[in-house]
Amino acid sequence: MSGRPGTRLGVTKAVLWLLVGVAAAVGVVRYLLGLGLTTSLSDRTPWGLWIGFDVLAGVALAAGGFVIAGTVHVLHLERYRSLLRAAVLTAFLGYVAVVLGLMVDLGRPWNIWRPTLFWQPHSALFEVAWCVMLYLTVLALEFAPVVAEGLRLARVVAFLRRFTLPLVVVGIALSSLHQSSLGTLFVIAPHRVHPLWYSPLLPLLFLISAVALGLSMVAVESLSSSWLFHREPEWDLIGGLTRAAAPVLAAYLLLRLGDLGARGQLRLLFEPSWLTAWFVLELAVGVVVPLLLFSLPSVRRHRRALGAGAFLSVAGLVLYRIDVGGLAHAAGSGDGYVPALTELSISVGIVAAMALVFLFFVEHLRVWDEPPAPASRFRPAFTDLVSGVRVRAPWMGGARLSALAFTVGAVAGLGLVQARVARRSEPRPFPVSPPRSVLALRVPPHAAGTADRLLLTTSLVAPAPAVVESALLIGGPEPGKGVLFAHAAHQARLGGTGVSCVRCHHRNRRGDRATSCAACHRDVHARTDTFSHERHAAALGGNDGCVRCHAAGAARTREGSTPCETCHGRDARLGTGTAPAATRPAGVAVGYRDAMHGLCVACHRQEDVRRSDGAGRSRCAFCHRAGSAGGSGGGGSGPGGDPVLVARAGTMP
Amino acid sequence: MRSMAILTDVTRCIGCEECVLACKRTNGTGADEPRRWQQTAEDLSESRWTTLVPAPGGRAVRLHCRHCLEPACASACPVGALHRTPEGAVAYDADICMGCRYCMIACPFQMTRYEWSSATPRVRKCILCYEKVSSGELDQPACTAACPTKATVFGTRDELLAEARRRIADAPDRYLNHVWGEHEVGGTSVLYVSDVDLATAGWPAALRPGSYPALTRPALHAVPWTFAGVGAAAFGLNWVIGRRRRLAGGEGPAGPPEGEGDGK
Repeated sequence: MSGRPGTRLGVTKAVLWLLVGVAAAVGVVRYLLGLGLTTSLSDRTPWGLWIGFDVLAGVALAAGGFVIAGTVHVLHLERYRSLLRAAVLTAFLGYVAVVLGLMVDLGRPWNIWRPTLFWQPHSALFEVAWCVMLYLTVLALEFAPVVAEGLRLARVVAFLRRFTLPLVVVGIALSSLHQSSLGTLFVIAPHRVHPLWYSPLLPLLFLISAVALGLSMVAVESLSSSWLFHREPEWDLIGGLTRAAAPVLAAYLLLRLGDLGARGQLRLLFEPSWLTAWFVLELAVGVVVPLLLFSLPSVRRHRRALGAGAFLSVAGLVLYRIDVGGLAHAAGSGDGYVPALTELSISVGIVAAMALVFLFFVEHLRVWDEPPAPASRFRPAFTDLVSGVRVRAPWMGGARLSALAFTVGAVAGLGLVQARVARRSEPRPFPVSPPRSVLALRVPPHAAGTADRLLLTTSLVAPAPAVVESALLIGGPEPGKGVLFAHAAHQARLGGTGVSCVRCHHRNRRGDRATSCAACHRDVHARTDTFSHERHAAALGGNDGCVRCHAAGAARTREGSTPCETCHGRDARLGTGTAPAATRPAGVAVGYRDAMHGLCVACHRQEDVRRSDGAGRSRCAFCHRAGSAGGSGGGGSGPGGDPVLVARAGTMP
Repeated sequence: MRSMAILTDVTRCIGCEECVLACKRTNGTGADEPRRWQQTAEDLSESRWTTLVPAPGGRAVRLHCRHCLEPACASACPVGALHRTPEGAVAYDADICMGCRYCMIACPFQMTRYEWSSATPRVRKCILCYEKVSSGELDQPACTAACPTKATVFGTRDELLAEARRRIADAPDRYLNHVWGEHEVGGTSVLYVSDVDLATAGWPAALRPGSYPALTRPALHAVPWTFAGVGAAAFGLNWVIGRRRRLAGGEGPAGPPEGEGDGK
């Protein structure tokens, strides 16, 4: 052993305790205040990091258990026996992580026992639940002899050993079911999972990749624990594991690409999107590169290459699960889900807790053939900074650093929650760039009926017949969208410098620096017109009335005629939908809907407030009743007819 | 029991939201409060089990649970909290729900909502007022009763399908020749006729015509056979390889209860 026993280990443990502390504090808040505060989950993204990472990846990491158990007990490859105990322990802890992840993720975890009694065999999650329960039990029993051995219970050990083979076989069968059933979970969701990942073969793909993952995972475990405990890695076994992983990886790769081809989705690989890039990255890093590292004889001579390959394939195959479990839903759900820090802290904390349990077992039981040297028990006394007294805390012993780390972590966890509360109470940012002056190109209309258009320009030289003019670029609610506002043209149209400003600015509305476009352009989208020429002509005395609206010599167009407000000025009540004359281009009538609603709704609303009898006069349905319900005169809506407005007698003053 | 259903005629809807109000009042869902996890306050939410979304041509389209004939959510539920009643409603029992939210993943229409801010959260969605209708308190769901233009009506699914077909036949120029919900996802109890395409208003074009629970069925039916097959194969391999080892030279015992980890 090295001369500095436990330094690396001590620091690692302290860091792990810190992470557990953060998770513990956040976990308490999650149970008290619900998922909304502690996660970024939403109705569109109901499953997030906890399912994608803790559950799917946790089960994946446990794949090493059944793979090595099968190798040793079924295939009788005895030389791998030295890896068996650690692999079974990791698998067991992986499943405990799954259960812990589920317990924080489930909204009503006190009902978790129900699948045992109330069977729902049509549910993939029901199968998963049973597999978790059974395999967790099997793993516990598989590992129990090691614990009994540590407790020197020889008869228990002998009793438990009798069931080794049946347990291993049941474990392999359960694992096959469970690894695949995690894929089955998403077969029902073709609307969510991106077609690059969605496949009816998801169960098979999950199973095959679990075998490769299990082989790589055992190699990674051996490498990382030997780093931690300053041991020489079992290179010959790692060589064997990676050699076995190569054909499985190849089969997995072929099945994934073949499945894409069979479903006719290979073209998606050539669509430029971040999901395509991600897909290629996932397969390249997790499968292709490890496959090359594992199978090229010239590369296999380098031990580091094998280690790197094992790490890469674990990362890539875990990523596959995370993708299917969540990342590849992003396109379907239309939601930008990014795990909250609090959410991440629980995921990391669960893994850290499992690592601590692993280290505890390794230090106290014979998990490896060559047990690590016990960590040094000696702890130097330290000097209290305030009193100057040299104190020791024997009752805390080696746990002192860990306890400190845990406490700091818990405080940090509460800090994370507090930061999230603070951020949630702020209004949602609304990215609007302030209006700025730009040069615009005015392009004259090309065809009758098209208005002239303003285009952003970078050049001062305008191609004839377009002209360059100054305009305001007003940012819209979405980045990259905006409106080119012809300020000069509006100014001129509304009365020129000095007079026109107040038409839009300084109208004393709260928080209103400039009147919104819609305040004036109310009829931009009007599809109908209230103006009836016949009725006006009749009311104004036939041909004698023409000059009342059309001045002699003026164009007989809407623009050239007397504005409506000249006569109807008093009809347009303040606060109604009909805009006062000054804010609307002369001669253009408001749309039918705006006019009618504007004239009625404002009074109805006032009446609602005045009477406060809850009759709801300003609600649409107060006036829009079905004809058949209204009785006489309503007309009603025939088959496919428009809803008809029906007056209700006696409800208005 | 006859399967009850709702038919919504998009051409008759004036977008007044009386259905939303009636739903809120009847189910006591409370006021809408824009939440961080909502895109807009008008989305379906824990407090808004039905809502109106815009469709092309200025139409308003009502969204709420489709009450599928073969509901993916109920098939996904591992405890049976979501279930289809004989009357056709997909109902929910909060007491046995364990909050896994698999229903929300499985729903092809994404109509289920969750009480994210509660420590005892429930899944929230339209339940066709089935409790009040089956107890006789209401003769039809609150939303259809409240609709002022009879744009959304309640009845048996067969009657309403016939009515939808009749309306399309009577005015072929007015309606698109499609009854949404007749075949999608194996049929739903909430049917729509419309003069505009509803692909952007609750009926995505990618919906499959067949039943969604059927997608998972082959994998689940394979479960017992996989278990038995893999188990038998593992036992068989163990026996065959062990025997060959024994015959080849008896290197080590092949039986299961060998001394484990005796060092090497």
